[in-house]
This record gives sequence, structure tokens and C-alpha cells, in this order.
Amino acid sequence: MSELKRTLLYDAHVAAGATMVDFGGWEMPIQYPEGIVAEHLYTRSACGLFDVSHMGRLLIEGPDRTAFLQHVLSSNVQNLEVNQAQYCIIPAEDGSAVDDAYLYRFEEDRFLLVVNASNTDKDLAWFAPIVKNYDCTIKNITGETISIAVQGPKSEEILKTLAGVDEVTKPARNNLSTLMMEGHEVLVSRTGYTAEPIGYELFIKNEDAFWAWNRLIELGGKPAGLGARDTLRMEGMLPLYGDEMGVDEDGKPMPIFALALAKFAVSFDEAKGDFVGREALLRQSKAQACFKAKDYNPDAMATLPKRVRPIVLLDRGVMRHGMGVYRNGEQIGWVTSGTMIPYFKTEGEGADVKLLPETGKRAIGICYISSDVPVNGEVEVDVRGKRLKAAIPSKHISNNVPPYVVPVIYKQK
Amino acid sequence: MTIKPELQYSKDHEWVKEEDGLTVIGISDFAQDALGDLVFVNLPEVGDAVTAGEAFGDVESVKAVSDLLSPVSGTVAEINEELLDAPEKLNEDPYGAWIIKVSDVTATEELLDAAAYEAFCSEA
Repeated sequence: MSELKRTLLYDAHVAAGATMVDFGGWEMPIQYPEGIVAEHLYTRSACGLFDVSHMGRLLIEGPDRTAFLQHVLSSNVQNLEVNQAQYCIIPAEDGSAVDDAYLYRFEEDRFLLVVNASNTDKDLAWFAPIVKNYDCTIKNITGETISIAVQGPKSEEILKTLAGVDEVTKPARNNLSTLMMEGHEVLVSRTGYTAEPIGYELFIKNEDAFWAWNRLIELGGKPAGLGARDTLRMEGMLPLYGDEMGVDEDGKPMPIFALALAKFAVSFDEAKGDFVGREALLRQSKAQACFKAKDYNPDAMATLPKRVRPIVLLDRGVMRHGMGVYRNGEQIGWVTSGTMIPYFKTEGEGADVKLLPETGKRAIGICYISSDVPVNGEVEVDVRGKRLKAAIPSKHISNNVPPYVVPVIYKQK
Repeated sequence: MTIKPELQYSKDHEWVKEEDGLTVIGISDFAQDALGDLVFVNLPEVGDAVTAGEAFGDVESVKAVSDLLSPVSGTVAEINEELLDAPEKLNEDPYGAWIIKVSDVTATEELLDAAAYEAFCSEA
């Protein structure tokens, strides 16, 4: 076992009393003393701070940078303007995922690709033989900056104060800016992995690490660990490589279009041209469109036998990764992520929604199950030998009316 | 970390006390802190047999499931049903939130007094 890597903020986490764990070869905070539940709820109601400096950061430079990325990523890189970011997947030829990633364009002539910490070396090895055919370079700059995710309803106010500006980035998700904050240059991205309608990821120079972390806390942010990061992304149906992407419990590659969000990450635009996995992805995309129209024809089912769906437990218990999902006694897939997740009860609707002080918790998760299970379909989960009732809702939260995430509580028919 | 001097402790971090002829069992402050936020509890039913050293239920945190290991053999006389809806009480008040009460105890694991348990925890 090689020695674990530490981010520059390691000492700050330890001083705050964090429980540190091995995550993708990095020694990272899983939680701080207040615990995962409090950190989850604080992010939903105010502002959680996440050290995401372990994420792999790759700089792609050179004349062929766009052509190279068009070939190895699922998204249409041509469409990405300066100060914009896009979610993308690194497809394999069979239409499964090597990794998922975020592509940022802070500057005209280079791209920043942020990949999963545990996949950084694998991704570099994947790109190596391909990039040789292009006049561009990939430089691993993980460790040359730190990165902090500032997520939740109060995150915008905190960054406005820090930068002394009226607008942190342009309003919508995926906008970027470069701001001076108290004399320090910070790259800002309106993105995140918490499903918060308002949230940012900051790229900060190493020498500014402690200044940034401490000031964000002084202004009302609270450190949150990987545990809360996982429950927040799970509630928002954001996939995690290794759970909802990669290979399934049988060791079979999971098609990218098993994920509902694939349609936002994969482009078949003519301008993009051919790319790794395009043919397989096009077939998968057509199958996904059939399912959308409730057409479960044998061709579509053969192309995409299973899909990634939300799941809610109706009986008392907790679902975990790897548990079997059954329909009429027959196994149709697995739980890919699951736990008990806290939420704020809410009052009002749409733009008038308010969080109440009362909280609840629910056993929800994500599953990978036979594609023909309809929305609100009922299934069973094998929870350590007991078959418990569960349902497949359309979603766990609604996050389209800022600033709050609103839980969608499943009502049994 | 709090250790109550009037209680006895198992090496699996359960606390034990005798009350009205029953053996009352809970988890220690050390245990609840190590487990993290508890979000679910599985309890046995009244009348179930429990065996020293074996699981009589489990507690689930956000991240993991952990067995509750019985320090005694006997019959479950009462369960703390309040925990089913409020497992967080085990975090908030581990010595107030008893889990089960056992009657007809036939065997007991080696138990530690408060001083010995404190020493045991500091080695862990």
C-alpha cells in the first residue's frame, strides 16, 4: 500500500476534528464532529464547504486541443465558450464509461478537465496512446492548485462579499469567472456535486489555501466531508463512478445511456464528428428515447437492459450498495447507492417555498434495474435476507427553483 | 468521552446494569461516537432469546451497518421502541437511551468496570 496523499488543507481538517479516511489514495475528511446529517442539512439550508483538491486536474493545451477532446469526450467541446463549463463522460468504444468529468474553459487557449481522484492515473493511461495523434499535450496539474466547493443557498452571498462584486458569475449553472478576492486571484465555477441550485467550485492558488478556507468559514460556510458529499449527490441522482458508472455487480460494463443525464452529456452534433464510442452511444440513445415513450421493444431492451433509477424504501430499513432488487420474485438488478438521508420539511411551492426547522429522514438511494420498470413501479430489495418493499419514483428532489432544494416525498399509491 | 462509573461495560462497547431484576443494555458514548450519526436501529422482539457474544440487533449510521452484540444470554423482556423512530437518541444520550432489557440471564460475558473500560478504550 503506497502512502496516502494529502491535500494542502489536511492540517485544517485535522484541527477541526475531522475523521480522515482513505479515498482514492487520498487521506480525506469523511466527516467533521457535527456529523454527516448536520453537514448535509447545513449545505441544504446555508453553505457547505468541501475540500475537493484531490480531484484530478488535467490541463489540455496545444493547437489540436479541441479536436482531441472532441474525440475522447462525449460532449460537444466546440460549443464551449470562454468562461463556460460542461459535464462530460469519457466513453469507451463499447459505450460504457472510462470516467465522468467536468470540462472548464477559463482561458481561450487551454482546457481544464477535472476527473475522479481514483481514476486520474487510469484516465491518463487511457488518453496517452490517443493524444499522440494530436498536436496537444495533457499536463497533470493536480496539486498545483487547491479546490474548494462552496455549495448551498448562502454560497452566492459569501462569494459576493469575498470578491466585493454584485455578480459572482453569470446567473446560470456552468458559468465561470476569474475574480480577485481580497487581493487573491480565484477561478470560480457555478458548478457542484450537491444538486444545490446555487453552488460554486473554486480553484485557488496553493499559497492562498488557508486564507480561502478560513475566510469562507468566517463568512458562514461550514466544512462538510465526503460522507455528506455522498448523501447530497445521491439525493440529487448525480452518479458516482464505481456505483452508477463503470461495471455492475456482475462485472458487466454499464452503458452510459443507462443514466438519464447521458442525454445532456453526449452530443451527436455533426460538428463533433466521430468520437470514441459514438456508434454504441447512438444505439443506446435511441433505446433511451424508446423508454421515454414507454416503448420497451426487444431491441431497445437488448441495447439497454438496465437503467439507473431513483429508489425509495417503503418498509422500515436502509438500502446499501450491492443489495439485490427483485420484481415478482425475480432479480432485476441492484441498489447502487443507498442510505438514510435527512431532509428539511418545506412549506409553500415554487418560488415561495420555505424550509421549515423540522427535519425528517428517508431511506432512499439509486438502483440499476431492468429498463422496463415504470415510474412508480413497485419492487423489493433484499436487505440482509429480508425482502423489503420499495418503489421507483421519478426523482428524490426538485432543484429548479433557487435557492432551495425541495424534497419530493414518495406517496405510496 | 463520558464513562458512567455506576455501569459495567463489555469489550464490544455495550454498557450493562441491573435494574428491577432485569439486565439493561445500551451502547457506550465511545461506541456512539465511533459509529457516527445513527439513522436506523433493528431490535429483537420481546420473548426472543439472546446469546452472549452474538448479535441481537444492529444499528445503522449513514455510512455503515454494525451489529449490536449481546453481553448476556437470556430472554428479551423489553425493547426501547422509542429508538425505532428516533435512533439519534443513541447519539444524544447513550446512557439514557437503553436498547433492550433481558430476563432469565444464564450467562454473562466478561464485563469491565468503569476504570477498566476507560483503560480499554484508550488502548483502542
